[in-house]
This record gives sequence, C-alpha cells and structure tokens, in this order.
Amino acid sequence: MSVGHTIISLLGALLMASPVFGQAMNTPEDLAATGFFRDQDTLPGSFRFYQQLPGGEERLWGIGPSHPKIRRSSFKLDAHEDVADFSQQVRCQKCHEPQTKDLHGLRMDISCVQCHRNQPVSGVFQYYSPLNPIRRHAYVCAKCHEGASPSFASYMVHEPNPIASETRSTFPAFYYAVWFMLILAGGVFVFFLPYTVLWWLRDLIAKFKRSAGHA
Amino acid sequence: MPEQRTRLKRFTPVHRLWHLTLMLLFMLLSVTGVAWMFYETQWGRELAGLFGGYQGALEVHKIGGLVLLAALLLHIPYLFYCIDWKKFPGSLLNANSLVFQWEDIKGFFGHIGWVFGLNDLPKYERWGWWAKFDYWAVWWGLTIVGVTGLMLYDPVLTSDYMPGWMLNVALWVHRIEAVLAMGHIFTVHFTVEHWRPGNFPFNAGMFDGTMPLEEARHDHAAWVARLEGEGRLDAALVAPPPVPLRILYFVFGYSIILLGIYLLVFAVTNAALLTLF
Ligand code: HEC
Ligand code: HEC
Ligand code: HEC
Repeated sequence: MSVGHTIISLLGALLMASPVFGQAMNTPEDLAATGFFRDQDTLPGSFRFYQQLPGGEERLWGIGPSHPKIRRSSFKLDAHEDVADFSQQVRCQKCHEPQTKDLHGLRMDISCVQCHRNQPVSGVFQYYSPLNPIRRHAYVCAKCHEGASPSFASYMVHEPNPIASETRSTFPAFYYAVWFMLILAGGVFVFFLPYTVLWWLRDLIAKFKRSAGHA
Repeated sequence: MPEQRTRLKRFTPVHRLWHLTLMLLFMLLSVTGVAWMFYETQWGRELAGLFGGYQGALEVHKIGGLVLLAALLLHIPYLFYCIDWKKFPGSLLNANSLVFQWEDIKGFFGHIGWVFGLNDLPKYERWGWWAKFDYWAVWWGLTIVGVTGLMLYDPVLTSDYMPGWMLNVALWVHRIEAVLAMGHIFTVHFTVEHWRPGNFPFNAGMFDGTMPLEEARHDHAAWVARLEGEGRLDAALVAPPPVPLRILYFVFGYSIILLGIYLLVFAVTNAALLTLF
C-alpha cells in the first residue's frame, strides 16, 4: 500500500471514529439504541484506570458537582403532567431557558429530545427515564459517544454558571479553576494593556529627543 | 560596495525555526479554535467552513495541538543541549540565559521608572525582562492549554482516568488560557515587537535573526558593551539581508499579523453573540 493511501485510510478511520458520524438525527432506531462499546471495552483484558458505578456519585473529596436539585417533576414519568400550559407544540426552549446554553444544542443543533426522549419527556430521576444516572451513559451518551461510561456521563451537560457564587458550593472545582484562570488572565491584561500604551508613548518621546539631539 | 554591516546577530537559525514553528501552529490553532468557539455565530461557521465544517476544524485543531505538544517536548532536550554544563549551575544565570535573575527585577522596575520619566532606560543585556516573560509565558501557557487539550482530545477515554465532570473544568480552563494567549499576542506582543516607534511598521528580527546595532546600543546597552569588551562585536555584525528576502519576510510576517488582527477584531465584535453561561 502506498504511503498516501495509508495516510488517507488512517485519516478516514479517525474521522469515522469521531462521534459526529454517530450523530444520526432522531430516527426511531436512534431513539431505541442502547449504546455502543469500544473495542477495548469488549476485548478480553479490558481495563479502566478509573471507574465509577452507574448512578454513583464521585465527588473526589467534595470538589466535584453535588447532587443536582430534585424537583417535583424529577421522578415523574411525564414531567409535564402538572404543567398546565405545556403542549408538544411549544418549543422546550421557551420554558427552559437555563438549559439552552450547552454546546450540544448551541453548536451542534442537537435537539433536547435527542437526549431527553419524547412522548412524554420524563423527569431525569424517573426510574425508567433514559437519563436516570444508572443508565444515562448507555442509553443517551453512548448513542453518539461510543463507549461512554458512567464516569463520562457525570459530565454536566447543562453546566452551571462557573462564576456564580452558588457554584462555589455546588461544583467547587469548576468555580475555583475558572476564577483562578480569570484572575490570571485578567492580571496579565490589566498590567500589560495599559503599560504597552505608555511604553509606546515613551518610545515616541525618546525617538523625538534623539532626532532633536542629532540635528 | 557591499552594504554596511549595521546589524547585530541576535537569534540563531535554530531560535528562528522554533519561533516559526510556534507561530505557524499557534495561528492554525487560533483559527480552528476560534471557529469552534464561535461556531454558534455566522462568522464562526464561515471560519469552520474553511476546514469543511466543525468536524474538520476540530480534527485540524487536535492534530495541530498534538504537533505543538510534540514540539514543546522536543524543546526540552534542546534546552539541555543549550546549557553550558562545564560551568553549571552558574551558567544558568549568565547573560545569555533566559532564566529570570535579580537583574531582571531591577530591569523591570527600572523600565517602569523610565516610562514615567523618573530615570534613564536601564542598560539591558541580550534579553529584556519582557522577552523572558514572553518565553516563559509560552511554557506555562502551553502546559495549561496542553493538559486540558489532551483531556478534551477524547472525552470518553479521558473519563477512564478521571470523573467526566473534569471535562467541564477542562473546557473552561482551556478556553480562558487560549483567550489570554491570543489576546496577549495580538495586542501586546505585536505592539511591543512591531509597532513601537523604533520598530514600526515591521521588525524582521525574528526572521533575519538580527537587530540594528544603533538600536541595540540604546535598548541593549549592556549586551553591546559586553560584546565590545570581549572583542566579539565586530564578528557579530552582518549586513542587512538582500532586498528580495526582506520583502519576503515583510509579506509573510504581515500576513500573520493581519490574520491575528482579523481574529481579534471579529472575535471582539462577535463576542456578544456567544452564549457562555
Ligand atoms: C410550557 C412550558 C414548558 C415546555 C414547553 C416544556 N417544559 Fe419541561 N418543564 C416545565 C415545567 C414547569 C417543569 C417542572 C419543573 C419543576 O418541577 O420544578 C418541567 C420539567 C421538565 C423536566 C424535568 C426536570 C427534572 O428535574 O427532572 C424535563 C427533563 C423537561 N421539563 C424537559 C423538557 C423538554 C425536553 C421539553 C421540550 C420537548 C420541555 N421540557 C418543554 C415547563 C415546560
Ligand atoms: C447532550 C444531551 C442533552 C441535551 C441535548 C439536552 N439535555 Fe437536558 N439534561 C441532560 C442531562 C444529562 C441532564 C441531567 C442533569 C445534568 O447533567 O445537567 C439534563 C437535565 C435537564 C433538566 C433538568 C434540570 C437540570 O438542569 O438539571 C431540564 C429541565 C432539561 N435537561 C431540559 C433540556 C432542554 C430544554 C434541552 C434543549 C434545549 C435539553 N435539556 C437538552 C442532557 C441533555
Ligand atoms: C445526539 C448525539 C449526542 C448525544 C446524545 C450526546 N452527545 Fe456529547 N457530543 C456530541 C457531538 C456531535 C459533540 C461534538 C464534539 C465532537 O465532535 O467531538 C459532543 C461533544 C461532547 C463533549 C465534548 C465537549 C467539548 O468541549 O469538546 C462532551 C464532554 C460530551 N459531548 C458529553 C456528553 C454526555 C455526558 C452525553 C450524555 C448525557 C452526551 N454528550 C450525549 C453529540 C452527542
């Protein structure tokens, strides 16, 4: 096989392996999927350095996200049972503004029901809900992310606002890491931006003085 | 008559090769990274379109990031090669070294004093405090962006090594560090190196490897004095590069600068369209 051919097939394999190609839109088969496994998950000798129990919470000494808020609807088969003005015709975004800010929806046009399933949308902790943490990784994430594990599913799709003060207690690692970076970046800019302007002006003066000295 | 030898050798060909590699990869990562970050805007989609959509942009971003990390790793043996082991560890603090020294702290405060007209410009050695800051900023910058970038390279694999919620953290850290790096390069670095009155409009120093002796006497007085004292100044002087090369440096350098300005202007004007929290 020629080198060019090898590179192209390698690139092809890379592309096929990326989750994008699993991203079939909302077909019945898609909705019925139960998850895919990677080779290393099914071949003998498979080993995961870090494992999390499905539905278990791993907060690493309390720095990870705490248990999400439980709402009245969180355990309902039809989360919108008691919502008077709910209708299939109204867009989810209209009532769930805080949940419209994740990159799955914003950047990849993934619709809410690709994760939440439809008819009816159930509460995320309802026992049979695909989003119930005991099966979320396999029933939802693995549809597109081959080999998604319970640990992977602990990624917060609807992430909290990292700089809001309540995040300090609900997801400390997120809060402190982001503030640390903001202060680092802010510090560099606060010093260097004005200083560079002053430096520029001072150079101009020096240049004038030097050319005046030569004359 | 050959042109006057008015320029002082400053960067070796290897220095310039490192800078060129870093610059090209930095711009590639900036364009693809910004395209992904702004993918929800029209402009971001157009940028990503250059790579065949976000899949292409992300793929190029990931490969570019790996190459840059490989370059960073290769830089370590190069550093070991550069160290003068015979005079180690004292040689780490010699005048050609990029290690921060007491002189740099004095040079820094002396510079502030000079900017405010309180004292003369300190007599700098070969590398000013700002050059050392830029050098080490690449180290910490690439470490932060590299570690988080590797985590995001394959989120599923990463979650075999740590809880998946670390990806929430990684993405934000990656993002802020990238904004810091691009913001710094496209404003401060360009201004200090290219647009200060002495250098305007373009300073080819990192391309031809030299700086005008006249300028060095002013900006790096201690260095020139040392070379003169050691009798090495004459050997370090060269004529300016031929005109075609100068044109090439200018055109190439300015396309990079303009690309940076383009990203900066459009990122700032589109920032309000981003949904961040
Ligand atoms: C008319 C407004 C409205 C519309 C439209 C709507 N919802 Fe809801 N949704 C609500 C309200 C109100 C609740 C109950 C919140 C509570 O219990 O505090 C709810 C609850 C939920 C819950 C359960 C929350 C939990 O904690 O488990 C989910 C999931 C959900 N909605 C998803 C959706 C999706 C997906 C759509 C689009 C198909 C949608 N909603 C459309 C108003 C709406
Ligand atoms: C990539 C999959 C995914 C998509 C797309 C998605 N969600 Fe969710 N949603 C989740 C998961 C997982 C949870 C559980 C809590 C968490 O991890 O943030 C959840 C939780 C919720 C909740 C419960 C309250 C909360 O924030 O925890 C509501 C309401 C909700 N989603 C609404 C929506 C709406 C509306 C959309 C479309 C704009 C949407 N979701 C798109 C995965 C998704
Ligand atoms: C409908 C398909 C789909 C589903 C379902 C889905 N994702 Fe994604 N996800 C994507 C796509 C497409 C990307 C784009 C990034 C890429 O191509 O690598 C992505 C990216 C991600 C990323 C990387 C974010 C980044 O900053 O690069 C994480 C983490 C993630 N998803 C977590 C989840 C989790 C957790 C779930 C389950 C609750 C989930 N996804 C469900 C399609 C999906």
